[in-house]
Amino acid sequence: MKNTQNDLNKLNMRFLNKTMLTVLAIGLLAVNCDSLLDTEPAQSIDGSIALETEANVLTVLNGAYDGFSDDDMFGGQIQMEADLMANDNSDPELRWVGTFEEPEQIWRKQILLENTQVSQTWTESYDAINRANNVLSALDVIEDAATRTQVEAEAKFIRGVSYFYLVQFFGKPFSDGNAASNPGVPLVLTPTTGIDETSNVSRNTVAEVYAQVLSDLTDAEAGLPASNGGYATSHAAAAFLSRVYLQQGNYAGARDAANRVISSGAFSLTATYVGAFNNAENSTEDVFAIQVDAQDGAHSLNTFFAHPDAGGRGDITISPTHLALYEAGDERIDAMRSDSTATEKWDDFTANIPVIRLAEMYLTRAEANQRLTTVVGATPLADINTIRARVGLPALLTVDVDAILAERKLELAFEGQILHDLRRTQQNIGSFAYDANETVWPIPQREMDVNSNLTQNPGYTGN
Amino acid sequence: MRKLILIRNSVFAFIMTLVITASAFAQNRVVSGVIIDADTQEPIPSVTVLLQGTVKGVASDVDGRYELTLTQEELNNGILLFSSVGYIAKEVAINGNTTINVELSLDVALLDDVVVVGYGSQIKEKVTGNISTIKASDFETVPVNSFEQAVQGRASGVFIQTNNGKLGQGIQVRVRGSSSINGSNQPLYVVDGIPVTTDDFSRNAAETNPLADLNPADIESIDILKDASAAAIYGSRGSNGVVLITTKSGGAGDTQINVNYAVATSEPTNKRDWLNGPEYLELFDESFERSPFNSTGDLTGTVFGFTREGLYDTFIPGWDQGYDTDWQELAFQDNTSQKLDISASGGDAKTRFFISGQVDDQEGIIIDNAFERISGRLNLDHSASDKLDLGLNLSLARTVNDRLSTDNAFSTPIQLVALPPVQRAFNDDGTPSNVTVYDNGLLYRDGATFETIVFRSLARAYASYDILPELTVRAEFGVDVLDQNEERWFGSTVAQFTGFNNGTADNRFVRSVNWTSQAFAQYQPVLGEDHELDLTVGLSAQEQTTDILNVSGVDFPNDLFRQVASTATIDAGTATTTVWSLVGYFARANYVFDGKYLLSLSGRVDGSSRFGADSQYGFFPAASVGWILSNESFMEDIDQISFLKAKASFGLTGNTPANNFGSRFLFGAGSYAGGSALTPTQVPNPDLKWESTTQMNFGIEVGLFSDRVTAEIDYYTKETEDLLLNVNIPGTTGFLTQLQNVGNLENKGFEFLVTTVNTTGDLNWTTTLNFGKNDNEITNLDGQVIEGNFVSFAREGQPIGVFFTREYAGVDPDNGDALYWVNSADGIDHSTGTTNNPNAANRVAVGNPNPDFQGGITNNFSYKGFDLSIFFQYVYGNEIYNGGGTFQSANADFFDNQSRDQLNRWQNPGDITNVPEARLLAGNGTSESSRYIDDGSYLRLKTLTLGYNLPASALSNIGLRSARLYFTGLNLLTFTNYGGWDPEVNTDFAASNITLGTDFYAAPQAKTYTVGINIGF
Repeated sequence: MKNTQNDLNKLNMRFLNKTMLTVLAIGLLAVNCDSLLDTEPAQSIDGSIALETEANVLTVLNGAYDGFSDDDMFGGQIQMEADLMANDNSDPELRWVGTFEEPEQIWRKQILLENTQVSQTWTESYDAINRANNVLSALDVIEDAATRTQVEAEAKFIRGVSYFYLVQFFGKPFSDGNAASNPGVPLVLTPTTGIDETSNVSRNTVAEVYAQVLSDLTDAEAGLPASNGGYATSHAAAAFLSRVYLQQGNYAGARDAANRVISSGAFSLTATYVGAFNNAENSTEDVFAIQVDAQDGAHSLNTFFAHPDAGGRGDITISPTHLALYEAGDERIDAMRSDSTATEKWDDFTANIPVIRLAEMYLTRAEANQRLTTVVGATPLADINTIRARVGLPALLTVDVDAILAERKLELAFEGQILHDLRRTQQNIGSFAYDANETVWPIPQREMDVNSNLTQNPGYTGN
Repeated sequence: MRKLILIRNSVFAFIMTLVITASAFAQNRVVSGVIIDADTQEPIPSVTVLLQGTVKGVASDVDGRYELTLTQEELNNGILLFSSVGYIAKEVAINGNTTINVELSLDVALLDDVVVVGYGSQIKEKVTGNISTIKASDFETVPVNSFEQAVQGRASGVFIQTNNGKLGQGIQVRVRGSSSINGSNQPLYVVDGIPVTTDDFSRNAAETNPLADLNPADIESIDILKDASAAAIYGSRGSNGVVLITTKSGGAGDTQINVNYAVATSEPTNKRDWLNGPEYLELFDESFERSPFNSTGDLTGTVFGFTREGLYDTFIPGWDQGYDTDWQELAFQDNTSQKLDISASGGDAKTRFFISGQVDDQEGIIIDNAFERISGRLNLDHSASDKLDLGLNLSLARTVNDRLSTDNAFSTPIQLVALPPVQRAFNDDGTPSNVTVYDNGLLYRDGATFETIVFRSLARAYASYDILPELTVRAEFGVDVLDQNEERWFGSTVAQFTGFNNGTADNRFVRSVNWTSQAFAQYQPVLGEDHELDLTVGLSAQEQTTDILNVSGVDFPNDLFRQVASTATIDAGTATTTVWSLVGYFARANYVFDGKYLLSLSGRVDGSSRFGADSQYGFFPAASVGWILSNESFMEDIDQISFLKAKASFGLTGNTPANNFGSRFLFGAGSYAGGSALTPTQVPNPDLKWESTTQMNFGIEVGLFSDRVTAEIDYYTKETEDLLLNVNIPGTTGFLTQLQNVGNLENKGFEFLVTTVNTTGDLNWTTTLNFGKNDNEITNLDGQVIEGNFVSFAREGQPIGVFFTREYAGVDPDNGDALYWVNSADGIDHSTGTTNNPNAANRVAVGNPNPDFQGGITNNFSYKGFDLSIFFQYVYGNEIYNGGGTFQSANADFFDNQSRDQLNRWQNPGDITNVPEARLLAGNGTSESSRYIDDGSYLRLKTLTLGYNLPASALSNIGLRSARLYFTGLNLLTFTNYGGWDPEVNTDFAASNITLGTDFYAAPQAKTYTVGINIGF
């Protein structure tokens, strides 16, 4: 009996030892297991440290420029969409011949609520704005006051311009006189760090949005340096201010802003018209351009305007109606293909995209001086002839507002200007009045679906 | 004395001789015999004969003979176990007999089968969970790309659908419906105990299928854990069901070699009717005349400033040359596929092996589409002692998939049908024409390649040790390594697609290393006759690291160069890595009282790196009970009922987020103007956790008439809460979505499986019918609306993927306008009348892509050497939205060739038709609407297999063990009302949890004819 008991004990001991070992092994594995769960992303960093240092804030600022240059923004579609929209469909100057439905809807001014092109311009613009807001929220970590001022100004430049285009597309034109009551777009001025009820913002009025745009761009002009590589400068801010003032019919503001750019002497017209385009570096007349190279940057204008020979889709062709507007000898024709069916302004998809050129400043100053019968900087006639001389056209002897607008239309063709000029000057867009419901974009369906505080624009009545 | 000594010596020698002989006898007693089939009296080869309680064993030979050497002690007191797949195992006490002949009976109902469960196995009779089991014999001759296709329609409640007819493409598998909206809905796949990688690593939007790397011929059985009782042991990954795949292993006995060779050819299941050249011109001329933009209303007018000729010359040059191209035909190719399988298995009592190799060379029905798999496997099991078992499973595979562009690309062959018949496909010199309204996809045939090469290695090692007879510990380590290289080349001839006049190429390399380490103990104490207890406790850790490299270049010297190294400019290059990990602790207790009352409890605690900091661990318990009524004395007299069991289960399972870092506040890197940039990419959600599914299952298993009829009936409910949603958030935040745990959905269903043995004897006929009905409803999305592609949505009160769009009201007989019901924001309300303005029509729920029910019916016949299997698969009650309809069937709105039914357009007042008036570029009825929704139900002769086994008498002369000739037809017949190519469809680039049942130039499924021969040595 005793022996058996001993054997049993031995067995138990052995069993216990093995069990202990097993338990120990499993326990060790378990300890290792818990630390196994501490994984970190490799292609991202945590938001809590992204804005902790000056270097990071400067990099986030570059991220805001990146958003601003997205293909749905100034990477091309903001310009292209305006040009498509501006056509008289019964006798179009530009034809949409591509297969994408969304630009075609914009071209026909029969925009469906779910048009993804429209919703992407909305969401990408607010993305750029959020990036700018992130920068503006973290200015404290920048020690050097001068740097801080400039960073703040650059972020406000991006935010101000983004709101300016949002309100033009999604709101009635400022020129209709009801800006104080017309719904514009929601103003979001702080970065998003979480989602809650306050994320469901309401639309501000057109006037409120314009006030914010003016505030941002005025601050930007004051805080930006006169030269800043390919980035925003005080001149770029002034140039955008001139566009904002034009939309508001504030011709003195527009004139003075344009004059500040011209009189700075920082820019000069390129020798030839075609020389202003397809440049890897900013040309002498680029007041502001999106920086593009083969590695980096979108170029939607190339995608849609350029002929397949130039790597584009060739989706937008030029009609004889447009060609008939040019005088004989106008060298601006040189910026078209030899068969005149497509523009060559956007043939190089690795080139910078001019957004505001010095030529526009002359035209703006000329128009404002003409309307105000003032002679700030130069006479309207002198400014127009400066533009005409560069493209090989004879000098005019007299000039009026219509002639200036006609010159402006050709000079800035395919650069996204004509729609906004038609709306501010209250000219029909084809068969539509300048402020017709069809010329205002719908608030995207996805936004209406997720934010019950938004109201839809008139004319878009489905759910 | 001398004599005495001699005698003594002789006696000693004699005695010694006796002793030696006796001891030799004592060590070398042999028991032998023949094992035959009780029914047919034919010998049964490969029966495992095992001395109970030892590892001593052999397998019977071709003639059913076995011979086993025993000690005298074993001969006197031992018990032999005779077992073979498909037969009822038998125990025979040896009682000193040296000849034991045995008859084994076919296990008709297979109720005694062992089913594989998580971390173990169980006798099916005593299982209280819900598990579908499919054996290799059900699918081994079916010519498929990946094993799931062969399982389609065979497991009740498991819906399997291939997105399209391209080879190597993603496959959708849903166990008891969809239980997630933004998380994964695919089940967890576990091969030989190790969870395997099923991530889609495709570089484009069309998913590939990593399970296609697995050789279907290596699979012994597939067990699908469907309810919570079965799946909760997989915790945070159990909600979508768990598919346990067991590969073949060797048995002790003579080495058996099997060779299988099959050759196949395929064609599309269906082709559609399109306009020919004259019909096309007739319709488009009419459309030109009737365009509201036409200045005169006839052929002499202009549209947008274009004359008819000018317009046609611009869009469809060549239209006046008399071409009449049948573009659809050009999308398909003649094809031949071949497959060779060789396997060997055998071993002895200590070491068993299974070795296999396969070459499977498949050509697709679509031009330029192919898939080749070369694979090998070694499964080794070794009994080092009567306590220690070791083993290794190792498989290697190389697959080469010649892929196509996604269904959304002009270059995918099926999009050729969009091209007008009045344009030519080929130039006079035979090269594809590049003058077509959309880019001619045929240019891709010669001008581009897209090859995906995968090296896949699955390995598992295990050691199992019996600490006590009733206590076994087991440790397993497994690793799944997937190396994928995607090589694309685009030559100068496809510049109109790529924008690169001198060609471009890219290379994307993915390496996924997915390891699992797990240990568990199983305790089965002897508690007396009335109690059976089985305890399992263990833990598991898993980590998957994925590295992706990508590089591309542009501008080759000429089209002979195809590697990135030869490009003038490297225009993009990137490298990324990501990781996730999971730690789980699990336990299970199965208890049986009196052989009648069953109880099972299980639970798992899972921690995942994918959960937010504030909820890192989740607990997933389950309980189930069963009652074997047929073992009760009061049932003894009811002879008709041979088996009856009632069971119920209740439990909680989870589903982890698909994103590795979905809970974090993230900034990512970007660039602008050559400088680096930081951009906010994700809003934080520290509360992020798993989705929870509470599942109840009630079931009855019944066997009638000595198990001639067996049936399983189950009813279940699955309530999922804390849905992981990429919730649309206002774009004004700068973000589009946030991953949140909001919302609930439910699945309710009913499953039915019945097997009848209709005749036995010479003609053996069995029928199996399975039926699964599932109702899915999203009950709460916290007010969110989540978009899929086209018209697919997740919306409250609707099934997942509901088609939510305008309701088409047909054509106004007076003017040919397409009409839509105005309806209301609350739903369908025809009192609101119709409108011809699509923007004025409210979107409403007008279709459901989820079938009401689905399943399969199999009839197996065998007569002498012949066997015939007829398997129908059915899906009923689902709808299909054809996203391509707005181009294909748009009453000549744009220059796409039109489906032939568009000839039935409205022409004159009073015409009653569903096709609106043709009006060029006017969008008359071409908006997304229910006009493009169709019934997707179908009944399909999924497989038909006819085989002939050569008689043993003929084979023995030529030294063969078996020989079988067979024909298998796949998808031979399809009965459907769907107007598109094939109702088994979900266009590859859009397929998702929400986008279901959507067609968009998806390649039809293949109809395949295979003949093969299978030889055993």
